[in-house]
Amino acid sequence: MSEERMQPLQSSLRVQELIYGLRISEVMTNKVFAVSRNCTMRDVRIIMKENAISGVPVVDNKRVVGIVTMNDLMNALEKGRMDDCVILWMAGEVQTLAEDMPLSFAISAFGKFPFRQFPIVNKKNELVGIITFRNINLALIRELSRQLREMENQQENPADENSLALVKVYQLHRYDFENGGKASSEIKRYLKERGISSKLIRRVAVASYELEINLVAHSIGGMLGFDITKDRVKISSHDRGPGIEDVDKAMTEGFSTANEWIRSQGFGAGMGLPNVKRVSDEFAIKSSVGMGTMVQAIIYLNSEEKNEDQRA
Amino acid sequence: MDLIRVADALNAELIWGPDDWEQIQIETVFASDLMSDVLMSDRDNMLLITSLSTEQAVRSASIVGSEALMIANSKTVTAGMIELAKDQDIALFVTRFPKYESCVRLGRILEP
Repeated sequence: MSEERMQPLQSSLRVQELIYGLRISEVMTNKVFAVSRNCTMRDVRIIMKENAISGVPVVDNKRVVGIVTMNDLMNALEKGRMDDCVILWMAGEVQTLAEDMPLSFAISAFGKFPFRQFPIVNKKNELVGIITFRNINLALIRELSRQLREMENQQENPADENSLALVKVYQLHRYDFENGGKASSEIKRYLKERGISSKLIRRVAVASYELEINLVAHSIGGMLGFDITKDRVKISSHDRGPGIEDVDKAMTEGFSTANEWIRSQGFGAGMGLPNVKRVSDEFAIKSSVGMGTMVQAIIYLNSEEKNEDQRA
Repeated sequence: MDLIRVADALNAELIWGPDDWEQIQIETVFASDLMSDVLMSDRDNMLLITSLSTEQAVRSASIVGSEALMIANSKTVTAGMIELAKDQDIALFVTRFPKYESCVRLGRILEP
């Protein structure tokens, strides 16, 4: 296994895993310069100049109501209207991102919208930070150096044959039912060879297989990652879209957006995500339309306690 | 109950099985064409009966730890399914009986 771990593909996939694993809140600038509605464009110019920033959110009672960018500032300057209130020049339609989203969502947002920065809001929709490409670059460099150190340590002290530890990532493609399931079978075999009980293996295999099927049947493609330690199996599924409109509905047994073809394959009964949750000790899902879906399922290996009888 | 008794009761044709397949113990039967339902099952020593003759049926059976897979209605078994059954070490049969009749026949010998 240690041989595989060194393959360049696996390392580049670790980078992908990284951008899904980091939260926007860990990457953004917490110190935000914002102005209120009645500030002037001249005020904004001073803030931008003194702090070397290119966009200033406009807030009303901590809620973002607009953003003034360098472009808006130049337009006002050209017309000699620097004493106007910011509301006359700001862009009123602001795309904000939530602080608990994975970093990958922010990266997709930069690809999707022409903006150079996104205000970040908390659950109460209050401004808590701002994110630019600079933040993302710095965070990636920081995390990559940390991972590189980890991998070097691993190389120096290779894990012994019987160790359970494994990090492995699989790519899955839309409608590729033929390969949907390979990852689960491999992981199942891996755990079996290491003497994990059949009940635990079944839970890991079911969670992983349902997520694989979801990736091939519902997403435009994505990846399934396994991070196994002696205590737990962490399965994470990330896709590039289309994203789930209503996550609560998707978690309702029987709700499905599957088409006839998926149904003809024996799936699409609307049981997938609820079934992943059923077999997992910990379960989390995040989704955003146009950006993708991330699911994380953890199954502990030291307790058989979430046993099948107490489940629905 | 030995798998060979189950196979006999259904006049089933063995497509592939591990060396000791005759002695594999079957305690419960799950019959469904909906793999989503199969994936909710958590029983041991199980035989899966299905008319869905696809690789995903073999895969689903294996994922839930089913010991054997019976394809009902004499459905054609593909080379890919046989390959997968070998790889997953799961006994694969075909019977001419439909699902309901298969269940009735097995019910007679499984239930006391």
